[in-house]
Amino acid sequence: MSFSSLIQTVDLCKSYDNDGVVTPVLYDINLTINRGEFISIMGPSGSGKSTLMHILGFLDLHSTGKYLFQGQATASFGDDDLARIRATRVSFVFQAFNLLPRTTVKENVMLPLLYHPTIPPSEREERTLKAIELVGLADRKDYYSSQLSGGQKQRVAIARSLVTNPDVIFADEPTGNLDSASGVAVMQALQKLNDDGHTIILVTHERTTAEHAKRIVHIRDGRIVSDSTDFQRAIAGKTEQLK
Amino acid sequence: MRSPDIFRAASKGVTVNIMRSFLTMLGIIIGVGAVVLMSAVGQSMQGVILSQISSLGPKSMVIFPGQQEGGPNAVATGHDSLTFEDLRELEQLKSIESVAPIIFVPGITSYEKEEGSPQVLGVKETYFKNQNIFAATGRLLDESDDQGAKSVAVLGSDTVTKFFGSNDPLGKRIQVGDRHYTVVGTMKPIGSQFFQSADDRVILPFSVARDATGQKYLNMVTMQATDSFDIALEDVKELLRRRHGINNPKDDPKKDDFVVRTAAQASTILGSVTLGLTLFITTIATISLIVGGIGIMNIMLVSVSERTQEIGLRKALGATRQDILLQFLAEAVVLTVIGGIIGIVGGITFAWLLSFIVRHFLSTYLFAISPVATLIAFIMAFFTGLIFGINPARQAAALQPIEALRYE
Ligand SMILES: Nc1ncnc2c1ncn2[C@@H]1O[C@H](COP(=O)(O)OP(=O)(O)OP(=O)(O)O)[C@@H](O)[C@H]1O
Ligand SMILES: [Mg+2]
Repeated sequence: MSFSSLIQTVDLCKSYDNDGVVTPVLYDINLTINRGEFISIMGPSGSGKSTLMHILGFLDLHSTGKYLFQGQATASFGDDDLARIRATRVSFVFQAFNLLPRTTVKENVMLPLLYHPTIPPSEREERTLKAIELVGLADRKDYYSSQLSGGQKQRVAIARSLVTNPDVIFADEPTGNLDSASGVAVMQALQKLNDDGHTIILVTHERTTAEHAKRIVHIRDGRIVSDSTDFQRAIAGKTEQLK
Repeated sequence: MRSPDIFRAASKGVTVNIMRSFLTMLGIIIGVGAVVLMSAVGQSMQGVILSQISSLGPKSMVIFPGQQEGGPNAVATGHDSLTFEDLRELEQLKSIESVAPIIFVPGITSYEKEEGSPQVLGVKETYFKNQNIFAATGRLLDESDDQGAKSVAVLGSDTVTKFFGSNDPLGKRIQVGDRHYTVVGTMKPIGSQFFQSADDRVILPFSVARDATGQKYLNMVTMQATDSFDIALEDVKELLRRRHGINNPKDDPKKDDFVVRTAAQASTILGSVTLGLTLFITTIATISLIVGGIGIMNIMLVSVSERTQEIGLRKALGATRQDILLQFLAEAVVLTVIGGIIGIVGGITFAWLLSFIVRHFLSTYLFAISPVATLIAFIMAFFTGLIFGINPARQAAALQPIEALRYE
């Protein structure tokens, strides 16, 4: 384990158990992600990409194996520890935007700060406005979320994900609901974050989107089938296990 | 999350759908409103009764002939136990400051073609002082009217209106039974006494009334105690029992042939009426607030399942269980508190409007509210929100973030 490794999984498995019906979804995931990386997770629909991302982002719990976050085993984390990590260390950009309805851009972006245990209220305004500016929506800050286009909504979601300055930003098909032009704007915003040193973990099945990443992980039927920094081969989906 | 943030989030949750929030609050609004209105009515009625007691003065006492059960109506049964001799001895008592004997004179009262049946009383000068009665026009009766047995009368304000309209009654001759009396004065309005107008009255000199009725006994005696009415009460009882040959060491009212009432007793009765009213109001309050609380719980449960995604999102952004719990609890409390405030304003408004209507029938009915009952209703509304909000809030807090986010 390298010193700067942010995320490390060891034989991580996940199966859902709905009233005795057990659905295995992820098998023996071994993945190490370092600070500052920009990773794309690709794979066919239903292969377990979102599930993996939710586990890594502390929205869901794994079944067996180990998940180390900043070198710490997460199995021992309690409810409030998890909430604290969600508030301070990680953030999400969802495919469906998930903005609060009947709420302005500013309020939406400010929302994570309300749950942040250490950022004082006096800093909220400034941080919020800075985040909105970063995604180029300064002129829309008092609009309600219903008054925005899809691309603008997703940029609001990105502003919301960076306002707490988290270690990792997870983005699950952030361009999935957008036309290509808006998609480009959203990816540029994420790219800028990565350039500033944020770790970005992206789920997508669009090549053009994946091209922003420096590393691509392919998943099929719950298993990692390739993990490559060689961009052409990775896009092509060639199997190549990196040690 | 800090408390102002929780409060802001809760207020937002409430104001997002105003109509629904209003309907949710309706039970609380009606419950609190009913309590405030009922207690205000109670307070006003207390005021009415108190004003009667105080118009007679806190030291005033009344003796009726007859037995306890008869009460003031013993008048009609023609008890003759209170004699003029009794009166003379009562006047000697040190503990009694002033004694005002009253004789009721039966018969139709008429002026020209107008007929009516106001209460006709024969009284001495002391009566006016005991009852705090003042002249509006002309004069009241005095010692010389009684001694000279003059055929004069003083009229109550309602009686004046009935027989004379806006004309001046002074110097006119009215007829009671088969005798005539010259009107020498009118009285300022007294208001009602025991929900009956005390202003439809004809007052005659005592000696004249005695002569007209041929009565050898008194229908009623009002008195003012010198200091303590406890002592006065004992003195009066002792005197009358001795004179009437009644042996009643155990103070059994059934053995007496007279009844003494004091203003203090009236306040005691008032107290028990108030207690009854309080219990009644509390029952209404409890029932309606429980009903209102169940309404709130229902809507909150619906709201939690409607807003599962929002809860999931908040958790994904770092909200703890407690953050979510407090937010929804605060929402329930904000709902009930706003409902409580609307209920209080509504109840007070209704009580105020009501006082205008009732005042037409009961001139001493004044607008009043009961601060204690209002406060209690408000506090109960607050706790209703807390108690009935806890279950939905718990459910919201227990949601797992990813399940809540996926919920559809
Ligand atoms: N709560 C659940 N209970 C049972 N099975 C589930 C549950 N959630 C997801 N799954 C299953 O897990 C598998 C992986 O789902 P996941 O959402 O991770 O796929 P994905 O790779 O993100 O697909 P897509 O590209 O379509 O978003 C699917 O087969 C799905 O049916
Ligand atoms: Mg997915």
